[in-house]
Amino acid sequence: MKRRDFLKQSSLASSLFFVPSFISAFQKVNSTTLSHKKLVVIQLAGGNDGLNTIVPFTNDIYYQNRPEISLQNQDLIKATSDLGFHKNLGPLKQLYDKGYLTVINNVGYPNPNRSHFRSTDIWQTASASNEFLSSGWLGRYLDEYVKKPYGGIEIDDSLSLILKGETLNGIATKNPAILNRNMQTAYFKKVLNTQSDAHLSEHNLGYLYQTMIEAQSSAKYIFETSKTYKSKQDYPNNPFAKQLKTTAEFINSNLSSSVYYVAMGGFDTHAGQINRQSKLLDMYASSIETFVKDLEANDTFKDTLILTFSEFGRRLKQNAGQGTDHGAANNVFLIGKNLKTPGFYNESPNLVDLDSNGDLKYTVDFRSIYATILNSWLAVNDETILNKSFNKLSFI
Amino acid sequence: MKTKHIQHLYFRAGFGLDYTTLEQLRKQSKTTIISNLFEASRNVEPLEIDLSGFESYFNSGFKKPETEEDKAKQKELQKSSREKTVEFNALWIDRLTSSDAILAEKMTLFWANVFVCRDNAIYHMQRYNNMLRRFALGNFGEFVKAMAREASMSKYLNNRQNVKASPNENFARELMELFTLGVGNYSEADIKAAARAFTGWSFKRDGTFHLRKKQHDFGEKTFFGQTGIFNGDDIIDIILQQKQCARFICDKIYRYFVNPEPDAQHIEALTNQFYKNYDIKALMFYLFNSDWFYDQKNIGSKIKSPIELLIGIQKTVPITFQKKKQLLYLQKVMGQVLLYPPNVAGWKGDKNWIDSNTLMLRLKLPAILLNNAVINVDEKGTLEDDFEAYYASKNNKQRFIKTTIHWAVFEKEYINVSQQDLKNTLIIAKIDPDTDALLSRLKFEDQKNYCIQLMSIPEYQLC
Repeated sequence: MKRRDFLKQSSLASSLFFVPSFISAFQKVNSTTLSHKKLVVIQLAGGNDGLNTIVPFTNDIYYQNRPEISLQNQDLIKATSDLGFHKNLGPLKQLYDKGYLTVINNVGYPNPNRSHFRSTDIWQTASASNEFLSSGWLGRYLDEYVKKPYGGIEIDDSLSLILKGETLNGIATKNPAILNRNMQTAYFKKVLNTQSDAHLSEHNLGYLYQTMIEAQSSAKYIFETSKTYKSKQDYPNNPFAKQLKTTAEFINSNLSSSVYYVAMGGFDTHAGQINRQSKLLDMYASSIETFVKDLEANDTFKDTLILTFSEFGRRLKQNAGQGTDHGAANNVFLIGKNLKTPGFYNESPNLVDLDSNGDLKYTVDFRSIYATILNSWLAVNDETILNKSFNKLSFI
Repeated sequence: MKTKHIQHLYFRAGFGLDYTTLEQLRKQSKTTIISNLFEASRNVEPLEIDLSGFESYFNSGFKKPETEEDKAKQKELQKSSREKTVEFNALWIDRLTSSDAILAEKMTLFWANVFVCRDNAIYHMQRYNNMLRRFALGNFGEFVKAMAREASMSKYLNNRQNVKASPNENFARELMELFTLGVGNYSEADIKAAARAFTGWSFKRDGTFHLRKKQHDFGEKTFFGQTGIFNGDDIIDIILQQKQCARFICDKIYRYFVNPEPDAQHIEALTNQFYKNYDIKALMFYLFNSDWFYDQKNIGSKIKSPIELLIGIQKTVPITFQKKKQLLYLQKVMGQVLLYPPNVAGWKGDKNWIDSNTLMLRLKLPAILLNNAVINVDEKGTLEDDFEAYYASKNNKQRFIKTTIHWAVFEKEYINVSQQDLKNTLIIAKIDPDTDALLSRLKFEDQKNYCIQLMSIPEYQLC
């Protein structure tokens, strides 16, 4: 069913009778202008240890620097002659075998920042390490091409920088029913239903009314649309899996939102890393497995690309608490059905030539990955959004 | 002075006015009103919580904790410091709500978003916060020099790691880019020279300034075309000679106190005033006496920050939060937690406060605080949390903010005030005609309800 037909049949149509023209204009958005490709961005928040995720198992330096926490043969699933997956990443290895996974090694940026907050900002805004942007790269994509708050959804209750644009913002929800309830209170309705178009040009006041109207319409649209599809997959029982399930329901109900952001917490493994990271990677991989299955069952996997990153990797040398401290370059995962370069995209990490902190040096700028996704997947002008030209890669 | 103008002055120099005070001020001349505003801020009490538990630790020599016992003790102190930071946060909000030195406090809030700093060690951060308060209406040059000597700032921008053998440029760069000149108004060579001038600037454990002479570069530096054996203070003096420094600060002052849309001519007028002697008090006096400050286009043009919104409500209806953590939670979900700026560039403000999620929450805030409305927004976990802690707060909880509402104070103030006057007291922005018509059609059983409704319209978000 086309979105427009759906709208006509939904309860939205009945209320059109009472709302002023600018709201109905909003509700009859032309969906053909939006790309049908979806992008799901996942942040492993806290800084996932990439070296124990994709393990350089033939490299003596790796073992010398991590006497207590390095992974041995029995802890691995070997993929190439020198790289193996952490043993709890079985489902990811299966995607790799099918050609649905690209791993890009040594991703980072010049002058890496080792603060969680700052480095997260850098990754989310696509800035250089010495510039402070107040809009995120997905937010600017909404500004430029989508022009609707529901174009980008964060699966949470408050919005991160990544989905904040210069002129408009995405929307955050992990439960569309609650979001909708919060936005449809009788009093707001009264205020909005008495609005005529005339006064919306007022500078900041107009902006507030406009945001209010769009928030309500977006919440209603997300709720009404997403409830038409309930996932039949049996997701693992953890909150990250739940975020992915919600994402799948959005995508499979043909919500016109094109970019999604999910943060999975817990990766700041300064101590007792072995057990903690094992659990996390197991949750990540099994949840992703079900998510991909869910999309495949609905034939939406072919139009979905999943990007997984962390704000930084971790130090090569383990610390005294059987953990690792904040590092720099790290690996990035891309999952999708139409990858041009499945498998390992580039060279393994160089453990000899480290920076002055003893961290991996980057060889791929993360903004090259963004530029490629924007250009080749979402089919938009990447320079407009990244404010600069970056080398394109050939993974998609 | 027009009533609207008095309100405008007090919305910008403070957090609005109650009806009785406004009635009193209406009888006074502009000169009297403005001079009393400054007079009330002549003496500002430092803001202090009990930190005696940290005294012995911060007044002993530096040594790395070696034994398990020492390490455990340090962990305990860090935890306690985090808890005390939450306490200090609540006390600061309380101060903003109740202080008579309202201009000095508003300026402190402003400066906290210029000389942005974040430090989990409350023992040092309390010092930093009171340094802001002490200089809030003082001399800007002395202010910058004091700020550069603070332990929290030294930690935040790595000046501690700035040593002769290997200069760290972080502080020098932000000093110019974000604190005094603005991006593009200095060269990379200037940054290198400034970084060398600040080498060895460090602090003792108790937070007092200390120059590590061995780490300081006593060599010759060239900065903004001048050459000499400059130290950090000399660098700041040369920065102050640049008119751009006065302009940069006045641009911030204008956007914060006058209008988020800059006006080049008026900013230049402020700059000429400020550049004379960098006297902050004289600058603000000049601003509040300028006719253009009271232009219609400036009145109600600002989107309140979450803190301004929270305090505005509490000034009308006093509220006691039963749990300090809930006050912190509200700040978190609205996007502004005092003492926890997002990064060294601070909060961007204005439209940046608003997205679909925060606006709905802000519109509901009066009902949440005053009418026991439920709030079901889960806060984000932090990046250092482990998995369980990260998701602990994400369970679609129906929250009630546990408050004690002092309605008696409100009633005493407004019981005999007409609805029209209550509306004019609470709302300074021009109300949208449709919303105004709606308000007049709705029936309110009492003044309390009318107050909550007024606070719930979009216009209340402006000041």
